[in-house]
Amino acid sequence: MTILLILLYGAAGVAYAVYFARRSAAAGRFATTGLAAAALIHTFDIGMRTMEVGHLPFVGAPAAVSAFVWLLAVAYLYTEVTTDERAMGVFIVPLLVALQAVSAFSSRVVEPAPMLDNLWFAVHVSSLLFAYAAFALACVVGITYVLLFRELKSKQLGFFAARLPSLRVLDAMNGRAVWVGWLFLTAGLAVGAVWLAQLQPDSADPRVRAMSFFDPKISVVILSWLIYSFELYARRVIGWSGKRAAWLSALGFAIVLLNLGPVGYFLTESHNF
Amino acid sequence: MELLLIGVSHHTAPVDLRERVDFSKRGVAPALAALAEQPGPAEAVVLTTCNRAEIYAACEDPAGTAADLAGFMSRFHEVPDEELAPHLYTRTGPEVARHLFRVAAGLDSLMVGEPQIFGQVKDAYAIASGERRTGTLLNKLFTTSFAVGKRVRAETGLGEGAVSVSYGAVSLARKIFGQLQDRAVLVVGAGEMAELTATHLQAQQVRTITVTSRTLARAEALARQVDGTAVDWSRLGDQLLEADIVVTATGAASPIIDGDTVARAMHTRRNRPLFIIDLGLPRDVAVDAGELEQVFLYNIDDLRALVDENLTRRREQTAHAEAMVAEEVETFVRWLRSRGAIPTMVALRRRFEEVRRAELKRLESKLNSLPPEARARVDEVTRLLVQKLLLTPTERLKSVGDEEMVAQYVEVVTRLFDLADTPEDGEAGSRRPPSRRKTPVTS
Repeated sequence: MTILLILLYGAAGVAYAVYFARRSAAAGRFATTGLAAAALIHTFDIGMRTMEVGHLPFVGAPAAVSAFVWLLAVAYLYTEVTTDERAMGVFIVPLLVALQAVSAFSSRVVEPAPMLDNLWFAVHVSSLLFAYAAFALACVVGITYVLLFRELKSKQLGFFAARLPSLRVLDAMNGRAVWVGWLFLTAGLAVGAVWLAQLQPDSADPRVRAMSFFDPKISVVILSWLIYSFELYARRVIGWSGKRAAWLSALGFAIVLLNLGPVGYFLTESHNF
Repeated sequence: MELLLIGVSHHTAPVDLRERVDFSKRGVAPALAALAEQPGPAEAVVLTTCNRAEIYAACEDPAGTAADLAGFMSRFHEVPDEELAPHLYTRTGPEVARHLFRVAAGLDSLMVGEPQIFGQVKDAYAIASGERRTGTLLNKLFTTSFAVGKRVRAETGLGEGAVSVSYGAVSLARKIFGQLQDRAVLVVGAGEMAELTATHLQAQQVRTITVTSRTLARAEALARQVDGTAVDWSRLGDQLLEADIVVTATGAASPIIDGDTVARAMHTRRNRPLFIIDLGLPRDVAVDAGELEQVFLYNIDDLRALVDENLTRRREQTAHAEAMVAEEVETFVRWLRSRGAIPTMVALRRRFEEVRRAELKRLESKLNSLPPEARARVDEVTRLLVQKLLLTPTERLKSVGDEEMVAQYVEVVTRLFDLADTPEDGEAGSRRPPSRRKTPVTS
């Protein structure tokens, strides 16, 4: 199933690349259909696993990464349908393929700790994953903004100017994605903190005991929260829109990826479920 | 039936003559109605733009009809024959298809690849078919030309990129701001270039246009033209805070807007993007303004460079587009040739029908003894039999693309079934249309 998903996401990615390079409408339609099919099968996969284990399959880094891929695919499809803009797919889908591959090849079967089998956990993880998906979108949109911005500034209009929507649309998309992501990030962190406050006094689990601001996973996520908060503040108050906001959201997402990848896999002592 | 085209265009006629033969002056529909009175063309479409006036027709006798139509154009527009004739061109058969396909693709336009012509061809066809002046031939010709136009645009990028400085400025503005509806425009200077660009921006329905000039009266005059407001020259600095797009085109000898002014304005604007189009020569805006982060400063040379690049790209794409047109003409010609067999098929069908009727007549006395339902059934069965027998030969003949092969087949069928002495040679259906206004469909 996971291999099939990688192949489907891969095929959609190739179609998006062809669409971007040649601007052929047929390739564009194929790309969207392929991605929608992949997302649908992914939904089915997640549904099956949920039925199998009796709760959302977010436990363990691979499963969480796969869920993140699914959320990002859905979030991207939503933006594509609402804005009628396919140009971003070529940047997003390779990310999906790469993350799904990471998730597939590091797959390990995890017996969830009993304390995770509750609503707190589901809300905590799903809002964070949703936030990350939104940040991924913001990052990609930000990068395309910078690419187009450079062309317009250097007065060498060409490849990107012919393919991307206007700077203003990209900037607005970036702002909106960061805002949505920030809301979910804040909510996810708040739920996590409240839940921890309930658990910690009487838990002997070393992982629960390791939950503190100094655990890498937690300090890194707080760092990303600070960066996104600053982006929102800078946008509203200082007028840091456009290029600076784009760079900030790219930086923020680099840190999120760090957290999803190396930190989540190797460094954290608290979140290694 | 053959295709025929007669017309004038920017390739053959000077602008004053083109203006005089512009069908849109008196309307295309009246022209079509007047054409319907003409004996020659069974189908007609009138295509008229500021660069061309053309009549597409389907007729039996192209040479005679061409002369008729030339006379018609001269009478309809009241332009003496001898004045019009040297500028007229005539095309027949496949060349009509090639011409229309090139026109629809924008290859025959003054500005190669310009997009308006495609819509104009569509409109011309819509009017003619609304007036019921088109039939099988012109329907096929025009619908194919739409497909060609679409294909060329989709596959070659021939229509892409602005090719005039003022339109280039507009398309840049759209790359920065997207839709321009809620954008404010400031025009500095009231000369011709300022006016042209302001008009283009007005066509994009920008929110406001503010005009300022050293002479307030000139600013007011331009403001009236573009539905804007004029402000005093001294308020230029304030206006920089409001505007999203600034067009400067003054004759000032040194920059009227320096980098510091723009920098201060950007600070107050909290970095809201500002697009400055400097059309002045010498330049109106200091170059260092363009180094500010959200300032996009383009001067006339930058715009010209963009336009030249687009023009070069269009030229490169032309060969590609021509190849596509050639391919489509070939397909169309194959269809056209397959129609060469139609008169024979009509004659053959008539011959079979005659045989069927004759047999039924011969058996009339016997059939009369049958109940009416049974008689109807016999009629139906025999009719179906004839239809089925003719189905395969008809399909085969239609699919032959080669003119010589069609001729051979026609020859064989004519001899085998002795069709040559049929009183009417099978073209009766199209030679004498039952009504002038509605063209019969022979296939």
